[in-house]
Amino acid sequence: MYLIKRDDIKKIAHALEEKYTLYGPYLDEVYGQCFFDIVNGDTVNVNAPIPTNPPKQVVFPHLEKIMQYKYDKKAKKADIAMLFDDAPRALFGLRSCDLTGLQCIDRFFLGQEFVDEVYRHHRSRMFIVSNTCVVPFKQCFCVCTDSGPAANEGYDINLTDLGDSYLAEVGSEKGKAFIEAFHFPAATDEHAKLKQKLVEKSITMFEDIAVESKAWVSRVMNRVTTGFIKEEIWEYIGNQCLECGACSYVCPTCTCFNINDASTVEGNTYRLRTWDSCSYEGYSRMAGGHNPRKPIEDRRNKRFFCKLSYSQSKKYLRPGCVGCGRCAWVCPGDIGLPNVVTYIRREIHE
Amino acid sequence: MSYLPGVCTFCGTGCGHYLKVDGASVNGVFPSRVHPVSKGRLCVRGWNIHELLSTHERITKPYVKDGEVSYRDAIAKLVSALSSYKPEEIAFYVSPRSSNEDNFALMKLARSVFKTNHISIQSESGHRNSLDVLFKGTGCAGMLGSLEDIRKAEVIIVAGMDITTQNPIVGSELHYAARNGSLLVTIDSRTTKIARLSKKFMNIKPGTMRQVFDAIAYYIDSEKWGKTTIAKYDEYKRYLEAVPFKTIEEVAGVSASDIMFVAEKLAKAKSAAVFFTSGISGLQYDTVASIYNCFALADKIGREGCGVNPVAGINNLQGSFDMGCAPDLLTGFQNIDDAAAKKRFEQQWNAKLPELKGRSVEELLADSKSPLKALVIVDHDDGIIKFADRLKSLPFVAYIGAFTNKVADFAHVVLPITTYIETDGTFTNAERRVQLSVKKCNPAFDVLPMWKLVSDIAAAAGKPFNYAHASDIMDEIASLTPSYEAISHKALAKKHGIQWPCTKKNPDGAKYCATDKAAFVLPQKPYASVQANESYPYLLMLGKAQHYWHQNNIMHKTFIPLREYNATLLLYPDGYVAIAPEDAKKIGVRDRWPVKVVAEKASMKAMVMISDDVAPGTAYAPYFIRDSITSFLLAYGDVVSQGEEATIPVRIEKV
Repeated sequence: MYLIKRDDIKKIAHALEEKYTLYGPYLDEVYGQCFFDIVNGDTVNVNAPIPTNPPKQVVFPHLEKIMQYKYDKKAKKADIAMLFDDAPRALFGLRSCDLTGLQCIDRFFLGQEFVDEVYRHHRSRMFIVSNTCVVPFKQCFCVCTDSGPAANEGYDINLTDLGDSYLAEVGSEKGKAFIEAFHFPAATDEHAKLKQKLVEKSITMFEDIAVESKAWVSRVMNRVTTGFIKEEIWEYIGNQCLECGACSYVCPTCTCFNINDASTVEGNTYRLRTWDSCSYEGYSRMAGGHNPRKPIEDRRNKRFFCKLSYSQSKKYLRPGCVGCGRCAWVCPGDIGLPNVVTYIRREIHE
Repeated sequence: MSYLPGVCTFCGTGCGHYLKVDGASVNGVFPSRVHPVSKGRLCVRGWNIHELLSTHERITKPYVKDGEVSYRDAIAKLVSALSSYKPEEIAFYVSPRSSNEDNFALMKLARSVFKTNHISIQSESGHRNSLDVLFKGTGCAGMLGSLEDIRKAEVIIVAGMDITTQNPIVGSELHYAARNGSLLVTIDSRTTKIARLSKKFMNIKPGTMRQVFDAIAYYIDSEKWGKTTIAKYDEYKRYLEAVPFKTIEEVAGVSASDIMFVAEKLAKAKSAAVFFTSGISGLQYDTVASIYNCFALADKIGREGCGVNPVAGINNLQGSFDMGCAPDLLTGFQNIDDAAAKKRFEQQWNAKLPELKGRSVEELLADSKSPLKALVIVDHDDGIIKFADRLKSLPFVAYIGAFTNKVADFAHVVLPITTYIETDGTFTNAERRVQLSVKKCNPAFDVLPMWKLVSDIAAAAGKPFNYAHASDIMDEIASLTPSYEAISHKALAKKHGIQWPCTKKNPDGAKYCATDKAAFVLPQKPYASVQANESYPYLLMLGKAQHYWHQNNIMHKTFIPLREYNATLLLYPDGYVAIAPEDAKKIGVRDRWPVKVVAEKASMKAMVMISDDVAPGTAYAPYFIRDSITSFLLAYGDVVSQGEEATIPVRIEKV
């Protein structure tokens, strides 16, 4: 544990920038909206609110070329090249929800029988600096999903704003070696206690949706898994779905993708990977035309089966939701995950 | 830091987004959370716009029938070809997707250089009907209210519009308002999503929208809740006397108590707004007039939360009319026969404007005796393919566009242009909001922005426009257009647009059109209601489907929206006709069984989709499945031109 003066926090970003492509939150110059993207030590904004886009974009882009091939007709030879990208990347100022999301995606792409090589390359040389939320943002509910407001694991360094200085905790050997080079003063147990106090205070500052949903996420998980949810509830939820796919796109843990080949005029063909969503009808349609989840309410409850069922928790040891609240921001209906928990919970009450 | 703010250019909602631009490629999109209309949301199209913007299916070089040529040679060929025809033989088919600057430059090219008034956009009738009624009634040729203020309306009526699929973010706003206490009423002949989300759904017989609104107005008037000080009230009152109020139940299939309920809520609410579809499947003139009159009578125009609001289906449909892309219009809905306006344009352009009466391109193509010989087509959707034979027989066709397009196969000269993110330009959304889209990247190949290309064509024809930048064009538009008077790229920079009328006196624009001079607009024709009969017992309605509205060329360039369209096509490869479960039972068919849809003048093959959304005795077919439905629709061209209200009695036979 080290203590870093407020003004020195950017030294970390600048040092990372020398060895890594630096990603972090920044505020758009025109309207001040926060995004998580490539930044430099000067533009990264540690105090920025939770970014519009989840950092999964760094390792699992919205649209990505994963393979290239060209067929030489004369030689009857195909040139195939995998497009791996293992450039070193540093994620700076990651919030605990998003870090948890990254861990969920890791388990999907890396933790199963088949390892996704494209993803593995992206993830292979990564340095993570997380940032404790001493004040939660509007619509956050990570307290209900065991993913915040402070990160417990998965980081190389974790920062906590103690007021006039930051507490830096080390989470890995890589993190230790990196931060030792700065010769920051060591922090004491008092500082660790202060952090704990701030986190406890932060937990009391969540808005109603988090406070009211708390403890119910687990109860609702139980309900969803055992299937005791009336059809009318799913219909009520499905009716409000405009099939935009936004909830999947903004979700830090959603991993579904679609594959397409696109040819250029020069005769190159690129294999593209794009984000996909279970809210789309074409997503669950099978070859031959059968669609097990054709009506919208069936597609919609699929999302919540995926996020809130025991199968997810068995596989990944946690719910598939990290409580960032983004799905509630972007939903054209009113069926962000916290609201769905509320609807189901209302039914349990009745 | 590659997320750059911009405007979505699919539909007329004009949502704000951020594109992830890396070099010349666009790799992602996220919604703008501070945009006044979209407030952090996008629809399925908007969420996948980067797939279109990063497509490889671009036109990369100018070409003629013999092969690739330089811009200079292609332009020379175009100019010499067009110069060899008489003005009445030349027409410009411009695109409702192009920016205001591009469309203004094209309009100027057509009128000042090639001396023709034959200039029009696709989907003219629907939006034009709305603009004609609103202009006649209030002097404002655009939405009277605002999308931004939907949440302020106490009563909201959706009139025959599948709004959550056509303009999903507008639908989302309506849903938000309804959740927060507004009374949402849907009047439609199909159980759409918005109907399900409404507190009151009036499922009317197809083709009776006008009668229903007239009945509501009749009741408001008879209860003396109406505003009678509006001009032409006496004539309107006489018109209302003939309204089938007492028989409305029989005529429209809705109860009189529902009509009275809506009438009372509408009249007594502090604010109310009505939304209906515009564009290719808009409403008829008389229906829009009835809706407008009803709201004028209820005194629900010209105030916060109020409005008669046609919702344009294409991003710059409103702007295209604003730019005078119609045979009889100059910019800002100034009529070409208005001598003072015409003189201003002639002075500014230092050219005589044509006297020749213009006709729309669709009309010229459909009329085999029309003098049309040379046609310039800009960035068009596949709908024009229905005129394939005529297009093939034309001596000269030029195509201007950014993306590859089957229409280009008809062209003698093809000129590529940039996409909207590779140049600056403004777009005017359904609520008159002029938004600046700034250049975000250079094109990956050597192509010109349209405004520059048009300037080069004018120069090659010996009449240079001398525009150095798109902003110069907006300055010229402002100088010629009262409603755009104070609009400039500088005024629009770093803003989410300005709603016209935007004058020097009122540079911040207007959320509501002034209605102090409002007058009732009398419908022109008697009621025409199509009845089912013994031989043709089903009333067939025609409409749009979400992912593929307008037989859309650009949707072919995406992956996810295209897959969604294909998902429908794979299930129903011959197109579909949706019928109620009890009717399917009667006919003896199951879902996806082939049927023959027989009408008096034509028939078509389709597959059955069994759906609770259609009422017994009615059927619904989407426009978009070209191969099966186009010839059927051509036989009923006059009916199809009624847009959303098009109703054809049919028989459905099991094959």
